[in-house]
Amino acid sequence: MSEPARQVMVAVAALAGTIERAGADLSLAEEPSNFTSALEQGAPDD
Amino acid sequence: MTESGIADLTLSEVAEAIRLRKTSSVEATQACLDRIARFDAALRAFITVDAEGALAAAKAADTSPQPRGPLHGVPLAFKDLCHVRGLPTSCGTKTAEYFSADPECTAVARLRDAGAVVLGKLNMTELALGPFGDNAHHGDVQNPWKPGHAAGGSSSGSAAAVAARLAFGALGSDTGGSIRLPAACCGIVGFKPTYGRVSRAGAMALSWSVDHLGPMTRTVRDCALMLSVIAGHDPRDATSSRRRIGDLLTAVDRPLAGIRVGVPENYYFDGVTAEIDTAVRVAAGTLESAGARVHTLRIPDPATMADVCNIIARCESAVIHARVARERPHELQPAVRSRLEVGFHVPAFDYLQASRLRARLTREFIAEVFGEIDVLLTPTIPEPAPTLDAAKAGTVDEVVTRMGRFSRLTRPFNGLGLPALSLPCGWSTAGVPLAVQVIGRPFDEAGVLAVAAAVERESTQHTRRPPLR
Repeated sequence: MSEPARQVMVAVAALAGTIERAGADLSLAEEPSNFTSALEQGAPDD
Repeated sequence: MTESGIADLTLSEVAEAIRLRKTSSVEATQACLDRIARFDAALRAFITVDAEGALAAAKAADTSPQPRGPLHGVPLAFKDLCHVRGLPTSCGTKTAEYFSADPECTAVARLRDAGAVVLGKLNMTELALGPFGDNAHHGDVQNPWKPGHAAGGSSSGSAAAVAARLAFGALGSDTGGSIRLPAACCGIVGFKPTYGRVSRAGAMALSWSVDHLGPMTRTVRDCALMLSVIAGHDPRDATSSRRRIGDLLTAVDRPLAGIRVGVPENYYFDGVTAEIDTAVRVAAGTLESAGARVHTLRIPDPATMADVCNIIARCESAVIHARVARERPHELQPAVRSRLEVGFHVPAFDYLQASRLRARLTREFIAEVFGEIDVLLTPTIPEPAPTLDAAKAGTVDEVVTRMGRFSRLTRPFNGLGLPALSLPCGWSTAGVPLAVQVIGRPFDEAGVLAVAAAVERESTQHTRRPPLR
């Protein structure tokens, strides 16, 4: 494996570690679109 | 009015001067073009200057019986990833017409409809992938305050042009800090609004889920003025919000009594230079004197959100720019190629988990932090603008690691989608600007502007002119 390719795989592995650690207990109800709902619901009242 | 007299006006002041016919749009536009001709060969802020088009638009503004809007006749410039009718859009790449859109970028069109004159297109980091503003194809953008130092990136030309008074305001884009980092390095105001507040239609995407467009100006009031023009729902951007904008200009003069300002105990001051640490705490003291209640608090770990944001941005940027990365990789700078390459190797499982995690982390952050405070105050950059030589030194791996460190205080707020503004708050011993970041609740751009304006009121930094030669 070339040095640049090795560096890319190290970066990918580091990011995967975060997902494994932080995403282990995600609720079944959690979905990506909840992000925009969180912003809308967190806004101050108009 | 003399060229330098006009150039020293802020965006709001020049708009007023044109409206009252104390100066003309042609004079203001010519003043910018003269300064571009004198200084831009060294600064490298512009990729395309449309002198002919700008002067024609300025003449039309001066002969118009009615003002078109609040920016009538004011010369602005745009990051070269916003598609502007009739001009090429390189996105900082070797390819002059890398990107196009029809119709043009919504934010540009709204500024034009408000009367703005288009000076041209601004230099940027290649494909918006880097925080230092170096560009092998169009020249490294120089910091107007200190030649040889980075202007920050990726909206490097936008920040340098505004700081050097080559334009009264500019548009930038921000996927990990690309508005706020160059604003911080060049001593101007840069505002990444809430995700969904400003349409990205007609601007090159780096990451659909994390990209934001926003204004870059010399003062907070100017920022409010530009944002009030570009904000609001756009059917061409499916992520744009229909939420009411409110009166952003009034917010700039709003008193701070009772506003709760939080300064994080964790993460945000780790590894930050002593002079930035001190400058941000002095800014907090300024807010306290202005009537705000300032206290420290522990915030949910931003490092996790920074990684989540990185996963999403790397995957989406690889998809969007797959063609150049796969067919013409030799055209890309090594660090840009390396950052794009990561996205080709992240499993779909991790990308989707990151997107789900982002939702949970955002909900938790808003509930925990904004239950206690109204705005958060942090440093924007961990160290003052480095020299360009230092920014580019070492192996690709070292450069990429350095990029990640420099953007670690801004990136979490891209993931969180919160409004975040950078403004100057002093000078380093090396003579480059220091900066503070103000972060607010979702869609509370007005609250962020009110707090930023209170910091700015106690400073004369925005009135200083860089020592250009």
